[in-house]
Amino acid sequence: MTAYSFEWSAVLRGLPYLLEGAGLTILISGVAMVLALVLGLALAAISQASGRLARSVVAAYVEIFRNTPLLIQIFIVYFGLPQLGLKLSPFLSGLSALVLYAAAYNTEIFRAGLEAVPHGQFEAARSAGLSERQMLRYVIVPQAVRISFPALGNNLVSLVKNSSLVSTIGMVELMFVANDISFNNFRTFEIYGAAAAMYVVIVLALTRLLHAAEGRLLRAPA
Amino acid sequence: MNIVRRGILMLLATVLIAALTVPASAQSTLEAVKKRGKLIAGVKTDFPPFGTVDASGKNVGFDVDVAHRFAKALFNDEQQVELVAVTSGNRIPFLQSGKIDIIIATVTITDERRQVVEFSDSYFMSGSLILVPKASTVKSLDDLGGKTVAVVQGAIQDKDVEQLQPKANRLKYGKVSEAVLAVKGGRADAYVHDDIVILSLARENADLKVVGKTFVPRPYGIAVRKGDTEFINWVNAELRKMHGDGTYDRLWKTYFADAEQFLIKP
Repeated sequence: MTAYSFEWSAVLRGLPYLLEGAGLTILISGVAMVLALVLGLALAAISQASGRLARSVVAAYVEIFRNTPLLIQIFIVYFGLPQLGLKLSPFLSGLSALVLYAAAYNTEIFRAGLEAVPHGQFEAARSAGLSERQMLRYVIVPQAVRISFPALGNNLVSLVKNSSLVSTIGMVELMFVANDISFNNFRTFEIYGAAAAMYVVIVLALTRLLHAAEGRLLRAPA
Repeated sequence: MNIVRRGILMLLATVLIAALTVPASAQSTLEAVKKRGKLIAGVKTDFPPFGTVDASGKNVGFDVDVAHRFAKALFNDEQQVELVAVTSGNRIPFLQSGKIDIIIATVTITDERRQVVEFSDSYFMSGSLILVPKASTVKSLDDLGGKTVAVVQGAIQDKDVEQLQPKANRLKYGKVSEAVLAVKGGRADAYVHDDIVILSLARENADLKVVGKTFVPRPYGIAVRKGDTEFINWVNAELRKMHGDGTYDRLWKTYFADAEQFLIKP
């Protein structure tokens, strides 16, 4: 029985291509993150404020996208929609599936945050003579975001890791590159290990960023 | 920077795990299989007529029949084989990590692969063909410059197309079925793969057609773990018996009769 010999040269040779993949992982999950935050917040606000119809549309959206595998959503957008005549590029297919999936969770997270703001805050804002809009803008949303923050952070970290699924539709991101290299040099342990290390670095950088944002949010006056 | 340091730590931890992990044994698979009482074979499930799944969920195809034949030779019972679905990309890692004993899954014999697995004698010759939509004007590899060409990740055509038609833009998919969908959905202008699978796909899909002449014919081999000469000698002996007793001819007629004019019989 021979001991396993870890081949650094395989990692080194694959490094430029892996870094290229990591670049696309950062790009697609970064863009998806911003869009999913905006969409999630908007939908949470709609589900709080508007009438019953809008509320049930938002609820249906959340349930559909939270309760189906992301991989199926990616395949429906990429392979399914073209048959109905809507052909998005691979990047847009992957991006829209990631955004819709993450935004469904964000909607729930923001909704929970909004509902967790004590009733007294609404009453106090109204009796201070603030309009509905001012109340949301200056009193309710800042507190809701603060309450939502930890859960939101988890969801964004998941988003980065979930972005590996777009490798299945030919997007040349980190997971795809790791497959591509190891399917040809057969050094699976080295290559997937290196890709895993890169995900760790990306996610650690993200959590750093979120920490900084959270600290700022907590210091800022509501 | 702390993040970089942590990344390096992670890599070091990875190496440590690697050093501590006992590797899959390169010793006698044949012994282990006999002791276990069944053979574990990697076969394709998306590759007609070598390995597919029929409507009742049963594995069928040329490679599947070979796997059953091996089980019969080992245990006198052709059902003593566990069939594990593999793809072009993951079949060699599956073998290396000990998840399967043997790959009977349309593996083209190449020098690169020879360095990591032990190949049997060739049991099929396969070149490559091009699958396009019915209405396509593509006639050969030459016409694929500037076009989008689907290939399967880990399949030999990924490299072939890169070399023979560097101007083509390759789109890589994990499975045959996804590459076919890409052509049907207009995401790719063509799909290049082994001749036999392309011919079968064209027969099953009226909206697709085969174009071009077969290029770069290469042999298929059955693969076992590197250094396992005992097992590969056993496989070769079985293949010879299959040729001798007419089994090979019978399988050939069953699976390849309607594509025979395109194929090179070994």
